[in-house]
Amino acid sequence: MSPIPSRGALCAALALPLALPASLWAADDTDLTALRAELQQMKRQYETRIDELEARLAAAERDAAQAARRSEAAAQRAEQAAVRAESQPMTAPSAAATAAAPAKPSGAGAFDALTSGTAFNPQISVILDGNYYQDDAGGEGAALVGEAFQPSGGGHSHGDGHSHGDGGHAHAVATNGFNFREAELAFSATVDPYFDAATYISIDGDGNVELEEAYFETRSLPQGLRVKGGRFLSDFGYINKQHPHQWDFVDQNLPYLNLLGFHGLQDTGLQLTWLPELPVYTLFGVEALQGDQEIFGATLGDEEQEHLNLGETEDGPRLWTGFAKFAPDIGRNQALQFGISYAHNTQHQEVQTHSHAVAHDEEHGHEHEHEHEHEHEEEAHGHEDEHAHEEEHGHGHDHGGDGITEELHETGLAGDAELWGLDVVYKYDGAGAYGQGNFKFQAEYLRAIKDLSVRSSAHPEQIGSRRKFTTDGLYAQANYGFAPKWKAGLRYDVLGLTNEVSGGRDEDFGSSDRWTLDLTWNLSEFSQLRAQYAYNDILVSADERERFNAFYLQFLMSLGSHGAHEF
Amino acid sequence: MRRLLLLIPILLGLAAAPAAALEVVATSPSMGALVRTVAPDAKLTVLAGPDRDLHRLQAKPSMIRALRSADLVVAIGAELEIGWLPPAIASAANRSIQPGQPGYFEAAAQVPLLDVGGPADRALGDVHPVGNPHVDLDPVRMATIAATLAERFVRLDPGDASRYQSNAAAFGAQVDERMAVWQRRVGEAPRGVVPYHRDAIYLLERLGVPLLGTIEAVPGVPPSGRHLQELVSQLSGREGVIIYAPYHSPKAPRRLAERLGWSAVELPLEPPLGSDGGGYLEHIGRWVEAIAE
Repeated sequence: MSPIPSRGALCAALALPLALPASLWAADDTDLTALRAELQQMKRQYETRIDELEARLAAAERDAAQAARRSEAAAQRAEQAAVRAESQPMTAPSAAATAAAPAKPSGAGAFDALTSGTAFNPQISVILDGNYYQDDAGGEGAALVGEAFQPSGGGHSHGDGHSHGDGGHAHAVATNGFNFREAELAFSATVDPYFDAATYISIDGDGNVELEEAYFETRSLPQGLRVKGGRFLSDFGYINKQHPHQWDFVDQNLPYLNLLGFHGLQDTGLQLTWLPELPVYTLFGVEALQGDQEIFGATLGDEEQEHLNLGETEDGPRLWTGFAKFAPDIGRNQALQFGISYAHNTQHQEVQTHSHAVAHDEEHGHEHEHEHEHEHEEEAHGHEDEHAHEEEHGHGHDHGGDGITEELHETGLAGDAELWGLDVVYKYDGAGAYGQGNFKFQAEYLRAIKDLSVRSSAHPEQIGSRRKFTTDGLYAQANYGFAPKWKAGLRYDVLGLTNEVSGGRDEDFGSSDRWTLDLTWNLSEFSQLRAQYAYNDILVSADERERFNAFYLQFLMSLGSHGAHEF
Repeated sequence: MRRLLLLIPILLGLAAAPAAALEVVATSPSMGALVRTVAPDAKLTVLAGPDRDLHRLQAKPSMIRALRSADLVVAIGAELEIGWLPPAIASAANRSIQPGQPGYFEAAAQVPLLDVGGPADRALGDVHPVGNPHVDLDPVRMATIAATLAERFVRLDPGDASRYQSNAAAFGAQVDERMAVWQRRVGEAPRGVVPYHRDAIYLLERLGVPLLGTIEAVPGVPPSGRHLQELVSQLSGREGVIIYAPYHSPKAPRRLAERLGWSAVELPLEPPLGSDGGGYLEHIGRWVEAIAE
């Protein structure tokens, strides 16, 4: 035995008494206190229950006495009161509603959240969203606001995928009269200790079913990380991830509607967010998405891709986004959040058509009488929107036999698309009844840049020439709870503060804007009625405007589980 | 020698253990008061003030930030905070405070509830069949909650076990003492109470004070003129007091009070923001005074 280990043992022996007795004593003390506390608790629990029983007995006696008195005075009224007490437990005297309270409620463990209990079914809710709409643009107004003129993209995006008899207008576009926008079915549940999942299905008034969102989200990653996967609304910007029934106005604002389409950035892929442990709320996120977009990063059908020399649709993911949110703490009753977002779609294709006036008697060569008289008509088309253009392919239309033919030329463009977004949201939580005094302001700026080159054209010299399309827009909106259950909103939105094409062709165009006023009546947390008026000034083509009034009456009904009040 | 080296980190560990204070987020001032009582050294954030309706709050980034670094969240529970706490906890990406974890504490899950198992029918308003969540107005239940909260703190921070337990026990003793006084103050045949919302039932049950009706016909929906008319005809000639919260519209309570010749008192459900156990008991004292006066 060497002396070293024994010295070690000696040290340990010296150190242990120093460390151990304290903790031993502490343990004894702890045990005693624990026992004492447990006894106290048991005593209190019994007292609680005895008190409750006594109170119930007393209340029951009081009730009996009252009932007797009442029956003497007016037997009929007593009967009515009894009926009321049965059918409306919330107004019944307290004793009647006390019921047998379980000693340990609903078998929930001590760490659990008490809920109404869905017995392993997901939480289900249904939201009904319908309106009455009227405009003085012949019922075309709701379609026009989604087709505000921009030199690229935009326009005629709705209708992709579904084709209806009514001219390709898919759901969400109101026409004069009654419209049922959607019934949204929402299912959500915790899958297991590792995942939450949710599914949102929308059924429109024509019975078209659409999967709006279906995603999982992690619950237990370390370091403030979360992963979301599936089909979901991107966290780009602020309003993008809101479903239509969560909007403060009936319809979507002009920049989102025209730069991203009715559904916004809704795509399939993965999201990673990180909430670092900082003194102020700061969230970072990135997303990789397939890129099947209607407007921002659209791809055309196989036939058109070949015909226009645009190349095939690249493998996904093609759409990448990044965003950051920052929210300084400005007190318990108000909140302020800033956000910056960026999205890049690696592939964007579109076809533009323009017409030339061509003298009829000349040969079929491309001799143009007016070099730049071409009118850019409805350009961009969403993916797989093939049938819509087929009749346009190179056919001429005779202009009333005056020997001049309008010849339509198609130009195929391909490249990539970028989008920047800035957002700010301020909320004040008023102390008034039923939302009185609440105030909310939100504003966003979007800027889309499509960097394309000509891949096919009736003018061979143009092929390879660059076209950079830039269109931006912003909206600012506020609403205020001016009375219990009532709020009023005001919105200004504009598209095309910058609305230009540069590169091989330089042109800029005007903007479209709109003022919207609305009035919302929240009858309860589960139902809303809304009236909305908008004055629209929409640029429908390069040099043509439509000015019109549009009016909505909307109902929103929420059935089932209690909705979340997200920021 | 190797054994000695092994001992060093253990000793260092013992020395370093009590350094970091627990970070606790309480949803309401009453839960904050319990935390201050049981664990005065914890770093506490209270999410809502006493003048706001806990059922109608919205999830805010500042809440999410506080929850991000929390070791324990203390909620009233039973769906009272359902609109905003679950989304805020989910957004906080903090796995230790998810329901089912020791870092999640619901007061309502620790005590028997009233109004359990009513019909899940929204024609009856914003009802919660799981039970009435407003347990924090009953001081006796709060003493039980304090004791279970102390056990939770013991679990998260075993080193200070005896302190948590004795703090909770002291609060329980204070409650017992005050309860006797309040019971006498309210008297043998107390007046009845008409609260705005069915939030006062726990306290009324405890004190044996009859609940004569509520201003709201159904929860979460403002009263109609007809409902008030019915209350007037039911209650005229009786003795009572009307109590409403700061975030309720005072119009209906005042009108009813005028018609009945009663008084209408504005009283928050929650104690002032910075309250500890003593502040909470003072707050209950104000309720007892309003009922007894």
